[in-house]
Amino acid sequence: MDDTSPPNALATAVVAAGIDLVACLPDSWLSPALDTLDADDGVEIVRVAREDDGLGVCAGAWLGGRRAVLLCQNAGLLLSANVLAGLTHHHQIPVLAVAAARGGLEDAFYYQSYKGRTTTPVLDALDVPWHAVHDPAGFAVLGDAYRQAEMHRRPVVLLADKAALA
Amino acid sequence: MRRGDAAAAIAAAIGPDPIVVCSLGSTSRAWRSAEAPNPTYYGSDPMGMAASLALGLALAVRPRRVLHLAGDGDLTMNLQALLAIAGAPPCGLATVVFSNRRYETGGGQPLAGNRATDLELVGRGAGLHVVSTPPDAAALGAACGELWAGTAPGFCVIDVEAEASPYGGPGEHSGVEERTLFTDRLRAGTTSQESSS
Repeated sequence: MDDTSPPNALATAVVAAGIDLVACLPDSWLSPALDTLDADDGVEIVRVAREDDGLGVCAGAWLGGRRAVLLCQNAGLLLSANVLAGLTHHHQIPVLAVAAARGGLEDAFYYQSYKGRTTTPVLDALDVPWHAVHDPAGFAVLGDAYRQAEMHRRPVVLLADKAALA
Repeated sequence: MRRGDAAAAIAAAIGPDPIVVCSLGSTSRAWRSAEAPNPTYYGSDPMGMAASLALGLALAVRPRRVLHLAGDGDLTMNLQALLAIAGAPPCGLATVVFSNRRYETGGGQPLAGNRATDLELVGRGAGLHVVSTPPDAAALGAACGELWAGTAPGFCVIDVEAEASPYGGPGEHSGVEERTLFTDRLRAGTTSQESSS
């Protein structure tokens, strides 16, 4: 497997971080990585119909001592504001989410624009740490992001550009 | 069936080993009143999150069984979680729903769908192993015995009476304290009764 290609970089980082449970709701940028993870016998996939369910799955897994990650689009983070706030401030449960950062400079769709403009202000308002991943090599931070989530007892988000994913 | 009687019957039927993830409000108060020894995580808040949290926990603690004890108001806030549960890798998760079609703690207002919605059919349509609604507390014990008997995750709707269920105050522990108590208990392998004695 070429670990430097966009889909493999995320999948490799997930596995390297000891994560073997992936909750997901697809985005077109994320689909190659999801296909790679789905083909990995050492990783289990939970397909959710809403992104906040994926956060719930990851939170429950952590309670039981298993490492999980949510893969979704940044619109799913906006939808999940209540759960992100609850996990951050009420339960203090670590969760890692990797989201396709739609609506940026390279995203030529009107309907994606609002996501790019609103996601990080919302995460900041919720007091959820986030880090930008601009290219495949940037996923080297994934393990550190999971550790940050555990140390800070809260969700941490990686916002991945198109060049990092597809 | 009264909610407290149902909780007591479930506790007696499932024994002390299954981990319980309990919805908020009247369901959590009923389960606390049963004083069951099971390690229990109380999923309040956000409302609606207990189902997916129970799924993640069940996937982490296999082969141990996990019971999600849901209120119908809490479950219907996130009904699509049943699809994730049905499609997830095999695990020991089962769901029991206390249903009276009202937001009991909020003042008894009807749920969306009210009498027109059949949660048992919803569960069956999602692909769950549906155990028929038991007519009384005695039959509830037998129904609990069927929850983990299918190849799909178990799902049983229990009709409970409308009862006043006012807020019980802020509770003894904050959310993070509840979480810490639960994880400590789980990792130490002790039951609720042992850890509180």
